[in-house]
Amino acid sequence: MSASSQKKLREIAILATLVVLGFIMLVPLMWTVLLSLKSNSDLLQSTANAFHGPYTGENYAAITKSSGVFRWLMNSVIVSGLQTIGVLVLASLAGYGFARLEFPYRDQIFLLVLFGLAIPEQAVIITRHQLFTGLHLHNSYPGLILPGLAAPFGVFLMTQYFKAIPKELDEAAILDNASRFKIFWKVLLPLTIPAQATLGIFTFLGSWNDYWWPLISATRADMFTLTVGLSASQINFAQTSGLGYLMTQAVFAAVPILIVYIIFQKYIVRAVAGAAIR
Amino acid sequence: MGTQSSRTGGRVSGIEISNVTKAYGATPVLDGVSLSIADNEFVAFLGPSGCGKTTLLRLIAGLEEVDGGEIHINGRRVDQLAPGARGVAMVFQNYALYPHMTVADNLAFGLKNVGIAKAEIDTRIAEAARILEIGEYLGRKPGELSGGQKQRVAIGRAIVKNPDLFLFDEPLSNLDAALRMRTRLELAQLRRRLKATMILVTHDQVEAMTLADRIVVMKDRKIQQVGTPMEIYIRPANVFVAGFVGSPPMNILKVDVDVSGAVVMARLAGGVFKTGVGSAGLPVSAHWRIGLRPETVKVGASGDGLAATVEFVERLGERTLVYTKLADGTPVTAEDAGTSRVKMGDPVGLKIDAGSAHLFDGEGVGYHAPESGE
Repeated sequence: MSASSQKKLREIAILATLVVLGFIMLVPLMWTVLLSLKSNSDLLQSTANAFHGPYTGENYAAITKSSGVFRWLMNSVIVSGLQTIGVLVLASLAGYGFARLEFPYRDQIFLLVLFGLAIPEQAVIITRHQLFTGLHLHNSYPGLILPGLAAPFGVFLMTQYFKAIPKELDEAAILDNASRFKIFWKVLLPLTIPAQATLGIFTFLGSWNDYWWPLISATRADMFTLTVGLSASQINFAQTSGLGYLMTQAVFAAVPILIVYIIFQKYIVRAVAGAAIR
Repeated sequence: MGTQSSRTGGRVSGIEISNVTKAYGATPVLDGVSLSIADNEFVAFLGPSGCGKTTLLRLIAGLEEVDGGEIHINGRRVDQLAPGARGVAMVFQNYALYPHMTVADNLAFGLKNVGIAKAEIDTRIAEAARILEIGEYLGRKPGELSGGQKQRVAIGRAIVKNPDLFLFDEPLSNLDAALRMRTRLELAQLRRRLKATMILVTHDQVEAMTLADRIVVMKDRKIQQVGTPMEIYIRPANVFVAGFVGSPPMNILKVDVDVSGAVVMARLAGGVFKTGVGSAGLPVSAHWRIGLRPETVKVGASGDGLAATVEFVERLGERTLVYTKLADGTPVTAEDAGTSRVKMGDPVGLKIDAGSAHLFDGEGVGYHAPESGE
């Protein structure tokens, strides 16, 4: 067999493996979509009915009428959006500070921030709960957003990124009569956009999928985020009844994150690949 | 030492550096450096890594603060001023162009920051683009330019500011050999066109010799010598300058001296040579060394001159460099014609033109034959 046909065969084998793996990944998603398109009475007989018609949009019509999913969706968008913006602002400023400014105990403070990476959320949850109860922040947007703003990984990432930018750029800008803020804003920050994209995507996805803190902090249904809301629905609709309705909610909840993924696909791939290389 | 800064119409022009010291923590970097640079003069700071030349440049630019001493530019004390207020422009070794801005924006950035009108900015950019022939790149970003083009943009960013003083920090070291030579020529032409005071930091003696009006040779936190390129080459102040400037380096050999005559006689490996250095005023020193440029040591037939053995031969085309060893193992680099037939292991005789030799005392201070007319 010639080298080129061997190479072709290898490519086909790789492609086939990827198709199979991709299909396996897609099965639960397709299963969810199919279930969401079936009437609850059909599914009560057997979930295998999902593989054939008749399909219906009644579940989608139903969630627009009765479900709190729109409210939860809005809550998730607000919480994840503001948390992402907040993390980007704070981590960029802190990263610039740690990378470029001279101040007493800088390295020790940076180490303290890094310790945050080693402390699991579970270890501080009771104290945090008490604190937020004292501040009357439960069942509020600040209550849901604030804990996520402490982002040691973000500070670490941005610090390393700012450090990697040659100091000569700052110096050239200093000789160009730029103020410190202007150097940060006009010269350095634009160069950190790839890191901002990575951090923004990870923060948004993390916040969107967060279940633990919203479950504790949001006890009123109108302050639920999607994750908490959907899980609360599951308790209301045991899997034997209302499965199609439940799956419709899941599909609906996945759509925004899918949109985010499609828009930022390039950056996500780069971020994940970058994380793998590092 | 060297040219003094000039006084024109009551205004002192040029650069005055007086007794500048700098240390990083406990490590001293510059030790009481003083230097005058005349208006429109091109000066090169030359020295090995860690000699303090880049630090001195950065102190002038204001990127570092002086610990002691003063720096004046055109009569104005600047060492307390912000870098942007000193009237200097710097070209960095790695260009330091803003990667996310177009070439035009890179050139305009500094001008916008001081509130220069857009029309004026456009005029200056057009002029710089014309001088440096970068007009067609104005809309591109630095990432889309070659090393040589980036270099021009970096120079352009300095030109548009109309500074009192240009600072170049090893501007050619990132370019390949061919481009470096071309850029060196362009820099020399640019210098003639701009008629501005310029300081170049380099460890490349060819750059310093070809570009500068005067060279400041530095080592160990101090200025070793200031002079025109030929002064530095012909009359090195000390044994360091003698060995550092010139390629291949000067041969420095231990000698015994006889100062009984009008000129010093040097005794070296059995031979006695009449140097051009006058005996009068020579200090008493137990340890003397003689400095011989390779071009003053010619290769002859064995038995004719100082006996030596060829260790290595470098054929450069128009001449041949012959690396030899004397009987006592002292290495001596000699020169021969381009058509030389000597080969490794050959016994040869070295014919020394001691009239142009240099002598160095135990402290390393250099003594030379008087210049014609002296």
